[in-house]
Amino acid sequence: MNETMKATENLQEYKGRSLAQETWHRLLKNKGAVVGMIFMVLLLLLAVSGDLIYDWDTQIDYMEMGVARQAPSMEHPFGTDQLGRDVLARVLYGSRYSLIIGVGSVVLGLIVGLITGSLAGFYGGGWDQLVMRANDILYSVPNIMLAVVIVQLLGTSILSLVIALSISSATSFAKITRASVMTIRDQEYVESAYAMGLPTWKIILRHIIPNCLSPIIVQVTLSIGSNIISASSLSFLGVGVPIPTPEWGTMLAEGRQFIRSEPWMCIFPGLAIMLTVLALNLMGDGLRDALDPKLKR
Amino acid sequence: MKRILAMLLTLVMVFALVACSSGNNGGTNNGGSSNNGGSTGGEEGSTPGVQGTLTIGIASDINELDPQQQNDQINNNCIALTHQTLVFLANENNDYLPSLAESWEWTDDTHLVFHLVENATFSDGTPFNADDVVFTYEKAMDPDRSVVAATLSLVESVEKIDEYTVQFVTSSYSNELLAVLAGYPLVILSEDAYNSGMENPHYVGTGRYIFDEWVPGQYVRFVKNENYWGDDPGVSDVIEFRPIIEAASRVAALQSGDIDVCIDPPINELSFLEEDEDITVHNQAGTRLFYLGFNCESEPFNNQTLRQAIACAINRQEIIDGVLDGYGQAQTTVVNRGVWSFYDDMEGFDYDVERAKELLAEAGYSEGELTVTLYISNGSPYTSIAPMIMQYLGEIGVGVDIQQFDEATLKTQCQDGNQQMFLWRWNVIDRLDEIYTELFSTDYATNYHQYSDPYVDDMAKQVLTEKDRDTREQLSIELQEYLVEACPQVPLYTADLVIAYDKNLKGEYLFGGGNHNWSWAYIDLSGSEA
Amino acid sequence: MIRYVLKRLLFMIPTILITSFLIYFAMDLAGGDPVNTILPENATTEQKEALREEMGLNDPFLIRYARYMGGLVTGDMGESYVTGLDVFDRFMQCLPMTLALGGTALILACIISIPLGIYTALNQNSWKDTTGMVFALFGVSMPNFWLGLMLMLVFAVNLNWLPSQGAEGPKYLILPALTVGLGLAALITRTTRSSMLDVIRADYMTTAKAKGASRRRVIYYHGLKNAMIPIVTAIGMQFSLVMTGSALAEVVFSWPGIGRLVFESIDKRDVPTVTGSIILCCILMSIINLLVDLIYAFLDPRIKAQYSNKG
Repeated sequence: MNETMKATENLQEYKGRSLAQETWHRLLKNKGAVVGMIFMVLLLLLAVSGDLIYDWDTQIDYMEMGVARQAPSMEHPFGTDQLGRDVLARVLYGSRYSLIIGVGSVVLGLIVGLITGSLAGFYGGGWDQLVMRANDILYSVPNIMLAVVIVQLLGTSILSLVIALSISSATSFAKITRASVMTIRDQEYVESAYAMGLPTWKIILRHIIPNCLSPIIVQVTLSIGSNIISASSLSFLGVGVPIPTPEWGTMLAEGRQFIRSEPWMCIFPGLAIMLTVLALNLMGDGLRDALDPKLKR
Repeated sequence: MKRILAMLLTLVMVFALVACSSGNNGGTNNGGSSNNGGSTGGEEGSTPGVQGTLTIGIASDINELDPQQQNDQINNNCIALTHQTLVFLANENNDYLPSLAESWEWTDDTHLVFHLVENATFSDGTPFNADDVVFTYEKAMDPDRSVVAATLSLVESVEKIDEYTVQFVTSSYSNELLAVLAGYPLVILSEDAYNSGMENPHYVGTGRYIFDEWVPGQYVRFVKNENYWGDDPGVSDVIEFRPIIEAASRVAALQSGDIDVCIDPPINELSFLEEDEDITVHNQAGTRLFYLGFNCESEPFNNQTLRQAIACAINRQEIIDGVLDGYGQAQTTVVNRGVWSFYDDMEGFDYDVERAKELLAEAGYSEGELTVTLYISNGSPYTSIAPMIMQYLGEIGVGVDIQQFDEATLKTQCQDGNQQMFLWRWNVIDRLDEIYTELFSTDYATNYHQYSDPYVDDMAKQVLTEKDRDTREQLSIELQEYLVEACPQVPLYTADLVIAYDKNLKGEYLFGGGNHNWSWAYIDLSGSEA
Repeated sequence: MIRYVLKRLLFMIPTILITSFLIYFAMDLAGGDPVNTILPENATTEQKEALREEMGLNDPFLIRYARYMGGLVTGDMGESYVTGLDVFDRFMQCLPMTLALGGTALILACIISIPLGIYTALNQNSWKDTTGMVFALFGVSMPNFWLGLMLMLVFAVNLNWLPSQGAEGPKYLILPALTVGLGLAALITRTTRSSMLDVIRADYMTTAKAKGASRRRVIYYHGLKNAMIPIVTAIGMQFSLVMTGSALAEVVFSWPGIGRLVFESIDKRDVPTVTGSIILCCILMSIINLLVDLIYAFLDPRIKAQYSNKG
């Protein structure tokens, strides 16, 4: 029995690999997605190595009123902000916060969504009702209002932002997972695994989740982008990341009062958000096309 | 691919450039407001050469027009149009001018007598007399019917002597009773209106304008009182306040002619407004004091030397330059600039990093040992000041953890004493008691410093009741010196009043603290058409 | 069918109960004493205490919630702590403004997106496709409020073509609606594109082509008609986004809608207004979702049949 299991697993793995490879090839054909990916890889490297390039105390957070509100120049390519901090340094360094918030909230939402969604899809009945009704409720409250209330409740910090934003992501992940699980649940290989006496959580983990990966991957990419935007909107409403963190949304919200007189304070963080989200969206769209079995040629 | 990216970038930059190459072309074609079919616009009203509607862009909506149920500046700006007080506070020299009272005098230490004007009428045509005054103050002193009852705590009763004479009986002499009575929450209401059973009797007043309509979030509108009793009625037919929360939008609205007056224009956009030849930017000394407060009751700031160390670490002038572009004045004392007996010549604790380090050591802390919380509310200027304070304290080795709240929460947190340091402001026009008692007296609700000192409590009372002007001034100065030394707060600066309006605005009556009276304001069209 | 609608309407009851509890609970715990926003700043401690007592703020949470729900059942949503205005009336005052903004934005988004979606689908994987999608993604990649501010500076301040703020006529609607609409465009374009891609490959399209129908006719008649279902669904699913987008645009452009009402009330700890408005939003969204489902059913005969069987 063990050997059969292994064989199935190997087969799965083999199939998975070839699918991944095929997807990869198709993804590379999508020009937008490639640009998006390159951008994201660079951004990720930057976010990780931020501390090597810049020193927090002397470059990111150091105010020098003498050079406040200077236009972009050779010394400060993105200009300086109202407290004399270098905007370029803050934008580059800030990538990590935006990514932490975007990725963190999506990962949290994904975990919650996967668990609740697969439970609902797998067991059906009461579980399904419970999860889906909860989703309906969350869905009918405008996300941003809900997020503001939650941040008010938890106090402004990166963690509470992540939690507030993860809720709206969780609902969409739960929906996707549930739908996929329901279609896969009754398929033969799942039934046979069940017959072999595998515990439910193992079945879900090994057979069901891998099979609903593709819509989830797409959703993850797109959600990271939309959560970065939402985070900046929350900053705009005054409940974002606390100062003086160089998070893009916070910088934008702070810089917006200088949008006419010193537009660079607002343009560059805005541009950073825009390019990142654009890259993520291009990637997501590319992945969607590449993973869509209907679009195979 | 590169091309697309480049194209994208260029697009954004072009867009941004168009957005920012502003000013000069925007200003030339917006005299009245040629661009919109709205109710504002430069149309002439019933008075020749005067624009019919004066529109004032405000930073937040009004919330209550029942005078005794509120004390918000923006509500008071509206009530100033529809109602009048017994005495009128002039915007210069802190003078009190006759309004509904012609004259007044303290007959002895506990009796203040007012002689009322005899020809005044309410907007509904009924005459004004002593009964209305008695009615108004009896209502105001009843805590169930008024939220400002506490300001009249010294008043024992208000009595009618004859049809046009009223006497206030107080428990002791007060230097500031007149100032309290000049406040807009204590405008005179119509007893007849309240007895008639009409809805919203508080709208009936003796003022130059009559409340017309409030559409929350959009506008509150007042129309001219055609039967105004005095000889200087309003000029504009209609005065409208429009809440425009986003500061940049408010400036844009002024430049495009949607509004005629822009309250609180952001400092950094003033240069655009100054370039605009249709707009006047006015600034004058303000009365709004911004400060860094300490919670003097609990660790670590129950240590006076530590508070002094922090005070020495802060560079006030740099904050003013950085945050206000210079539109403000540094000060050492706790009394708002412009208030009588303001005294700023004490040595105090000026910016001196070496001294700060010495004081820190004297207070028993080594560098790097202490990290404190700084509670601030969202929004300008606190979010700009806070990181600067963080940096200043960093230089003497004190860490700062900034925590942001909305205003309601910040107030609650400070009342509960959860803060270690906080940023706040206090606006005082002319009453010392609003500083000494409300900020520093033991257990007062607004004493966010949690400061308690029997000497200060006692001195505050003396300053309030001392009749001799010179002695009183001396007491006040002594108290200021004491409070600066005790250092429950580090006064940072008094912000200037900055306001921008249509260059044809006439008859404005402005106060440095923002409690303006728009009763006589209008847009003069004769100049612009000639 | 009717039973289905009734069932959906009935389900709104637990939704309202749970939502109201959560929001009321969150607003309550969030700290920030409402008394501080009602009374003048220099009110005395006694006065504050008295008002707290009068408003019943000293009662335990559950009692206050029960009292609130009691009012809700009888149709009384309470009065604003700050302005004393009736919450329901206030919401109803703002609702048409938000609907006008959201509706115009959706129409604008459709005008931009559907042709763009078809265009990109027809040119899949070419540079036209990429450029088109980048254009569509533009709006959704920018923070909404930032776009709004930029539009305002260009069209209201510099060019002086449109009013910058206020709500006094159709002219005032253009900038906010454009701001919200550009944010919605990406999703509609994306859906149009992918559902057109699906349809283009479907058998009946090949048949239609084989029958000699013109390319234009094949695409716009056969193709779009069949692609409409997912597009309508996508639009229906976006009402949450419309609300979110409008809420931010409302703040930027001083548009007196629901979003601005809620945000300002949250800031002032106006619990009745926040709770009431969010509950009403919930009901509104549930009704809109139901309508979308019904439209969907009429568009797709298979689903219609399904409902009839159930009913």
